[in-house]
Amino acid sequence: MKKPLVIALLILLALALLAAMAELPAVGQADAPVHTHVSARYIEQGEAETGAHNLVTAVLLNYRGMDTFGEVLVLFTALCAGFAVLLAAARNGNKHYRQPPAPQESGAVPVIAVSPVVSFVVRLLAPFIALFAAYVILKGHLSPGGGFQGGMILGALFIALTLVLGKQYSARLLPVAWRPWLYALAPAAFLVVGMIGLQLTGYFLGYPQEPAWHGVREAMMVTLEIAIGVGGAVLVASLFLALESD
Amino acid sequence: MSELFDLVLLALLITIALLVVRARDLLVAAIIFSGYGLGLCLLWLHRGAPDVAMAEAAVGAGVTTVLFLVAIGVTGRKEK
Repeated sequence: MKKPLVIALLILLALALLAAMAELPAVGQADAPVHTHVSARYIEQGEAETGAHNLVTAVLLNYRGMDTFGEVLVLFTALCAGFAVLLAAARNGNKHYRQPPAPQESGAVPVIAVSPVVSFVVRLLAPFIALFAAYVILKGHLSPGGGFQGGMILGALFIALTLVLGKQYSARLLPVAWRPWLYALAPAAFLVVGMIGLQLTGYFLGYPQEPAWHGVREAMMVTLEIAIGVGGAVLVASLFLALESD
Repeated sequence: MSELFDLVLLALLITIALLVVRARDLLVAAIIFSGYGLGLCLLWLHRGAPDVAMAEAAVGAGVTTVLFLVAIGVTGRKEK
């Protein structure tokens, strides 16, 4: 009885969405609203105005810096919410959250049983992956990539190392005492860089335009990229560790 | 040729999405979903968005899968 109704509703929804899609301007149509307002300015003067060869970074860190600040705050809030849920579940003994088996004697044991091949390959590739992550973060304003992407690579590397080498190793790599500070690294860096911009230009997150200040502008962008990268890596890694924790 | 590549990729993505929804074993669903992330990454790359493609490869195919697997590990593997 219920199923035909659900299917009919879904078909109606699909029809409505398709009708809305048909109203959109064609891809690449020159006089579509997207192409007639700000994007022409971004494409023509983005590099000169922001000093970022990669226009995506120019928009993310400069033209729409406030939006990225908000996004970073959203990620921070999501991390806090995730911790809150996990802590509450662990404390109340929620029946949907199966308690992990009692911890065995803690030696340098990996989190799961890992084959020697996987262990060897992860350890062999780790420095190269770390180097690639640093490259992606630092070159984000010149080529595709940036803080978010590099941070995710770094976080994935951290998770792989934790799986293979165990939690003792991850605690050495990322000391527990540092973690609370690193959670808030990206929003804090945005605040600091924004304040520096306020001092230099009179606008929060403003970047100096004069040719003599290009070094400062680049340093501000790279600082933000590094903070987003490290903050993102720590966010992903600590969500993983919080889920894994016993 | 270029259009054909996109169409094949889109068809593949829809197939993978249906497989994810149909899978009763959540472990299988999580692994297939990482394939979905990889396909979407290729599509972004081919449509000229390398920044998004990199984020998709790292987040969609990598980190989300690990978080799903850990979550399955602490809850349960079968859909009820």
